[in-house]
Amino acid sequence: MKFKTHISIKDLNVWYEKHQVLNNINIDIPDKKITVIIGPSGCGKTTLLKSFNRLIDLQDGVMVSGQVFVDGENIYDEKIEVTHLRKKMGLLSQRPQVLPMSIYDNVAYSPRIHGLKNKKKLDELVEHELNEAGLWNEVKERLSGPASKLSIGQQQRLCLARGLAADPEIILGDEPTSALDPISAEKIEQRFLDLKNKYTIVLVTHNLRQAKRLADYVIFLYLGNIIEYGKADEIFKNPKYSKTKDYLNGKFIEEHKIDKELNLKGTVCPDNFVKTKVALEELEVGQVLRIIIDYEQAVIEVPKTIEYEGHKVLEVKSINRTDWEIIIEKRNDGEI
Amino acid sequence: MNTRKFKDAIAKKIMFSFCVFILSLAFLIGFILYQKAKPILGVQNLWQLLLSGKWHPTTGQFGMAGFILGTLWVTLIAVFIAVPVSILTSLYLSEYMPKRVKEFTKPVIDLLAGISPVIYGVWGVIAVVPFVRDYLMPFLSENLPFFPFVSDNYTGFCALSGGIVLAIMISPLMVSVMGEVLGAVSFEMRETSLALGATRWQTIKFVVLKKAWPGIIAAIILGISRAFGETIAVLMVAGCSIQEFPKSIFDTAYPLPALIANTYGEMMSIPLYDSSVLLAALILLVVTILFNIIGWGILFKSENE
Amino acid sequence: MDKRKIEENIFKGLMIFSTFIIFGSIVFILVTIFLKGFPALSFDMITKTPKGGYYLGKEGGILNAILGSIVLGLGATLFAFLISVPIVFYLNLYLKRKSKLAFFIRFSLDVLWGIPSIVYGAFGFVLMVFFGFGASLLAGIITVGFLIIPIMARSMDEVLKMIPQELKEASYALGATKLETAVKVIFKQAMPGILTAVLLGFGRAIGDAAAVLFTAGFTDYLPYSLFKPVATLPLAIFFQLGTPFPEVQERGYASALILTIIILFINISARMLAKKFNKNIVK
Ligand SMILES: Nc1ncnc2c1ncn2[C@@H]1O[C@H](COP(=O)(O)OP(=O)(O)OP(=O)(O)O)[C@@H](O)[C@H]1O
Ligand SMILES: [Mg+2]
Repeated sequence: MKFKTHISIKDLNVWYEKHQVLNNINIDIPDKKITVIIGPSGCGKTTLLKSFNRLIDLQDGVMVSGQVFVDGENIYDEKIEVTHLRKKMGLLSQRPQVLPMSIYDNVAYSPRIHGLKNKKKLDELVEHELNEAGLWNEVKERLSGPASKLSIGQQQRLCLARGLAADPEIILGDEPTSALDPISAEKIEQRFLDLKNKYTIVLVTHNLRQAKRLADYVIFLYLGNIIEYGKADEIFKNPKYSKTKDYLNGKFIEEHKIDKELNLKGTVCPDNFVKTKVALEELEVGQVLRIIIDYEQAVIEVPKTIEYEGHKVLEVKSINRTDWEIIIEKRNDGEI
Repeated sequence: MNTRKFKDAIAKKIMFSFCVFILSLAFLIGFILYQKAKPILGVQNLWQLLLSGKWHPTTGQFGMAGFILGTLWVTLIAVFIAVPVSILTSLYLSEYMPKRVKEFTKPVIDLLAGISPVIYGVWGVIAVVPFVRDYLMPFLSENLPFFPFVSDNYTGFCALSGGIVLAIMISPLMVSVMGEVLGAVSFEMRETSLALGATRWQTIKFVVLKKAWPGIIAAIILGISRAFGETIAVLMVAGCSIQEFPKSIFDTAYPLPALIANTYGEMMSIPLYDSSVLLAALILLVVTILFNIIGWGILFKSENE
Repeated sequence: MDKRKIEENIFKGLMIFSTFIIFGSIVFILVTIFLKGFPALSFDMITKTPKGGYYLGKEGGILNAILGSIVLGLGATLFAFLISVPIVFYLNLYLKRKSKLAFFIRFSLDVLWGIPSIVYGAFGFVLMVFFGFGASLLAGIITVGFLIIPIMARSMDEVLKMIPQELKEASYALGATKLETAVKVIFKQAMPGILTAVLLGFGRAIGDAAAVLFTAGFTDYLPYSLFKPVATLPLAIFFQLGTPFPEVQERGYASALILTIIILFINISARMLAKKFNKNIVK
């Protein structure tokens, strides 16, 4: 593969406690292209992504060996100023995380913490980035309103604008559209296609059609190993390895064994998570609950609360225009 | 109905009545103290009692302003010390300390909360009073010879000693409540801020504290109310002779709880004395209940959000 | 170094300093009490009652106060236990988790927890006078009992909340009533946790001074009747420190050491039980 390298990974290994989640990763990620990481759940996609901006440092008991070069600098070098590194990369997570402040302050957060005080410059910047994220027209009237009041799709675009405001070189996305309705998801996808001329983009996704639409390059990760890496059209047309083929043919996509289903359409917060909790109480540890909701706010709130209670949210995805499904595994009994 | 069902029904009724009892206990205490405080309220105006500084039981003067100000003064000193220390400590525990080390800190904080007030008092007499007398007071009154650092009380038994001891006593409560409040801020929230290139401290300042401040205020309110009511330890180190108005941190202070504790024994012999002391208890009750309702109210509310 | 880093380091330094103050203070307190108390500690102190003139520096010990505190603490703990148990069982068996009543009960327990012990003392004093008896072991037990109900009930409540719903349901499925479930299943399962709560209450009961000041009185005799005054360790310390005689004050320090050891012992046992309980529930 011939391209200008932006991120170069050499012999990267990551352990959580004694459990190794990434084995000897060696890849180069191209400049100003979209690289998509695919692979079954739990194979280490998020870990790989977060090792680029050293967010995995925050996990308890994590150990990293190897090197990651960004712009030719090894980011695991002791001398690296990690806040500068992180400023270089905007991160979009699966569920949009708005900061507890106004829309304006969310976008202005990064420039401000890096020392920009000039009000006029900030105003211009906020408007510009909101425009880039395709949100300006929807929020220009209520910039000082709380960001948490936006719809989820809008929140994710706000997160994009916030990341762009840090003036990054790289955009990282960890399944950034999986919690969004199809229209919002499409808007985000469109942003990525527009932005790839200016930024290097690395995305994790479970959605193969999305991967096909967006990817210039594809990484297929399986149990912490890179099975295949190459140009998107080549991998999608004729994968070299049978594992990749199986995955692309949907053999891998695990069907969660559902023990109980709960239809919560028409209920609002906090009613829906109270009902979810009650339903979980009736399950045994390890059993899986699937809930269907159509209340946007709940798509963020319910998984958050449920994880706070110590359970594991296996999947959140939109299943049609109005509904989402959330799959939860019961992990403990009530309080932890 | 068989006997098992019958037993169950009876037990339920009994348990329920205990619950009703606990729900009404605060009112019951208030009511009973009020009954006892009535005689003095019958002859003297409540505001006059609260605002007058003249406390001469033998001549029938029961102005409590001196004690109320004493309480406020000692509490203010304690809060001034304990609030920053508690906030910074709970931040350090929740934001910087590895989880494994953190597990060891909770039992220690609990132990600090479980030590008897008398022990705090003894420690105050042995360690704090001499320190204040021999080092702090000479140093401060020499270098800062103005309010509130000058006093002619050189014993070390003073408002500051009381405040220091109280500060240590109310810190464990504040640290553990604040710890819970900070623990409720999601990891993702912090991660988001750090991912944007913020330092740890910026994340704390702009995101964590922004989310947690109602709970932190609640913790402070609970701490203050704890300080209001603390009796024996303060009694042992604060000097406890009456001041009309606190002029120095090195003056003695005579808070309300200490008054109640101290007058036991003499109060039956003088008319209205017991009534006025029980009025003091009633005031303490009302104020602490109020503070606790506000504090716990905030905590319950933010927990449910 | 840029400004952000400097600010970060300043505040981190302050945080470490504060943490050090808090954790240092407990070490400081324990060490001070030990260093001052140990030299004055003698066998007499824990085996003898005060002979005449003990508080003037003559012969004797504080066995009366040690035993008095233990008896009063046990009585108060029992009293509080008998009131707390029905409440927490009602909360956790008969009420739904989100019920309004449960909220109000928990809320009032928290508020009661915040009422100062001197107020409980005054309340107990008024009750005592009203029912026509003087300062006595019984009055002390009831007053201190009230004081520790909130502590005990709230920590038992935390334990019972952790009992898995399935366990209760399994019991109902076998046809047991709620009462039978409470007595036979829950109580057994939560036993170590309940014991921890009881020990915590006991620790508070033994350590408190303000509540017994009016109600339990003081005496040089060993406790022998519910209706007679009883000596307590915190008050013994308070009185000994209040005398102008250095040798009596020394004994006060020794008494403080004894009280500290008792409370440490209770706290550590409670902690160990809690640990055991946690192990049980996780599996
Ligand atoms: N903080 C942690 N401590 C211990 N193990 C962890 C931690 N985070 C992740 N893991 C484990 O590491 C492995 C890789 O996790 P990772 O989140 O990177 O997977 P993923 O590919 O992103 O999965 P998904 O598609 O479900 O998001 C998993 O087996 C997971 O259980
Ligand atoms: Mg992931």
